Amino acid sequence: MMNKLIFGRYIPGDSFIHTLDPRAKLLASFYFIGIIFLANNWQTYGILAIFTLFAIFLSKVNIRFFIRGIKPLIWLILFTVALQMLFTQGGTVYFSWGIFTITEFGVINGLFIFCRFVLIIFMSTLLTLTTPPLDLSDAIEYLLRPLKAVHFPVHEVSLMLSIALRFVPTLMDETEKIMNAQRARGVDFGEGNLVQKMKAVVPLLIPLFVSSFNRAEDLATAMEARGYQGGDGRTKYRVLHWHSKDTAVILAFVALTVVLIFLRS
Amino acid sequence: MDIRFEQVDFTYQPNTPFEQRALFDLNLTIEDGSYTAIVGHTGSGKSTLLQHLNALVKPTKGSVTIGDRTIVPETNNKNLKPIRKKVGIVFQFPEAQLFEETVAKDIAFGPKNFGVTGEDAQRLAAEMLDLVGLDATYLERSPFELSGGQMRRVAIAGVLAMEPEVLVLDEPTAGLDPQGRKEMMEMFQQLHEKRGMTIVLVTHLMDDVANYADHVIVLEKGKIVKSGTPQDVFQNIDWLKEKQLGVPTAASFAEKLMEKGMTFDILPLTADALADKLLKGLEMAGEDQ
Repeated sequence: MMNKLIFGRYIPGDSFIHTLDPRAKLLASFYFIGIIFLANNWQTYGILAIFTLFAIFLSKVNIRFFIRGIKPLIWLILFTVALQMLFTQGGTVYFSWGIFTITEFGVINGLFIFCRFVLIIFMSTLLTLTTPPLDLSDAIEYLLRPLKAVHFPVHEVSLMLSIALRFVPTLMDETEKIMNAQRARGVDFGEGNLVQKMKAVVPLLIPLFVSSFNRAEDLATAMEARGYQGGDGRTKYRVLHWHSKDTAVILAFVALTVVLIFLRS
Repeated sequence: MDIRFEQVDFTYQPNTPFEQRALFDLNLTIEDGSYTAIVGHTGSGKSTLLQHLNALVKPTKGSVTIGDRTIVPETNNKNLKPIRKKVGIVFQFPEAQLFEETVAKDIAFGPKNFGVTGEDAQRLAAEMLDLVGLDATYLERSPFELSGGQMRRVAIAGVLAMEPEVLVLDEPTAGLDPQGRKEMMEMFQQLHEKRGMTIVLVTHLMDDVANYADHVIVLEKGKIVKSGTPQDVFQNIDWLKEKQLGVPTAASFAEKLMEKGMTFDILPLTADALADKLLKGLEMAGEDQ
């Protein structure tokens, strides 16, 4: 069931994109989501699409996985696109029925929104497919550091984040195991009406919570036994290195921005 | 009720970059009333095989016949409940599946799902709790205030309460103390002998295999590399060592005796068998003098 999800998983590799500094990748992805809103005509969307496809090409990951990553979100995308198409006014009217009108502007807007969704999903999928979760949490910790000035608990948040990321697959396995055990005892998940479906979740949720509590207690004890006393005075085992190619990536994004501003109408 | 595998292949997450093949062209039969042990390394596909026994997963190729139902890759996921009732699975560390407020309710949960009325389910709960060696005072307690071993017993009682024809056990005694382990294994043996229950046991303990099982299947990397009676499978100690499977204690002791010059026509696998042989040897030595 959850196995079908591509988004948010990591595929090991050693391509150009894989070996970039996670900070560069994280910054670049967020920056990309920002500048995608600069695009407002075919030229700009074309440039963005070529840029994204080139990045995917550099990652050496099969593009099929990106396309599959869209699948879980396809209804959301189509819904948004349909709303845009049906309710945008202006330009030549192709079709009209009550409050619904399909106009030239509507169709173009819908298509743009579709492109925007696909490009954002491609880029963020590229980030997670090529970056191990722990690297990501290191990058987030580093980028949040300025917030220390306003007494934001950066170390605690990043610790929670890395523990959470580390336990996602463990919890998934555990969920699968408990589900199987309860199915073997005659529970039908996802069958019957809404009330029945909700009732079927109880034998799954309670054991999951209980085991999470137990796990948290064990982990806290084990951490204390190994001398963990909080973030102060700790050294780092994994140190991030910023190389010239990371700077190059950032510069490429700046150049892209300039081109977009130049081409937008 | 027989369970038959015909050319069963199973692949996890097919057609994704995470694709992983777990079972390769398996053919096997678990006969009605047998006590089958499945052994093999971690990752050899034992747990995957177990999930096929009551249709929790469907083969990606081939067919699994459970009683009068045949499961093929195209089989619909609906109406599998009758199979689940007939084949009860006790998963590894089954204490993780407890969730009700009281032990009684938790044990009755399985039967109720299969349509047993409340009163009958309660009766079953009391009966099964007694069977796994806990007294009636535990019925009204919360499963979460019990010790690990007691929780294990309650979870097993919950599966037994479904009154399955085939009982599948995935390392049922892992993490139990020696006394608890022995009691548990004896109880399964009783169920096998007295109620004619078919038992499938997955274990790393070769002594349990030698003592209880009448059929052994050795899995390696998703393939069956040997199958037969324990006597057949354990006959070749060097092969077992090469596969790093472990040797029953009695057999490895017998091997040491053989190094000292004793001979056995067949290798004794259990302490009892070994004692018999030694006794006979002593008697013969006595007659010679």
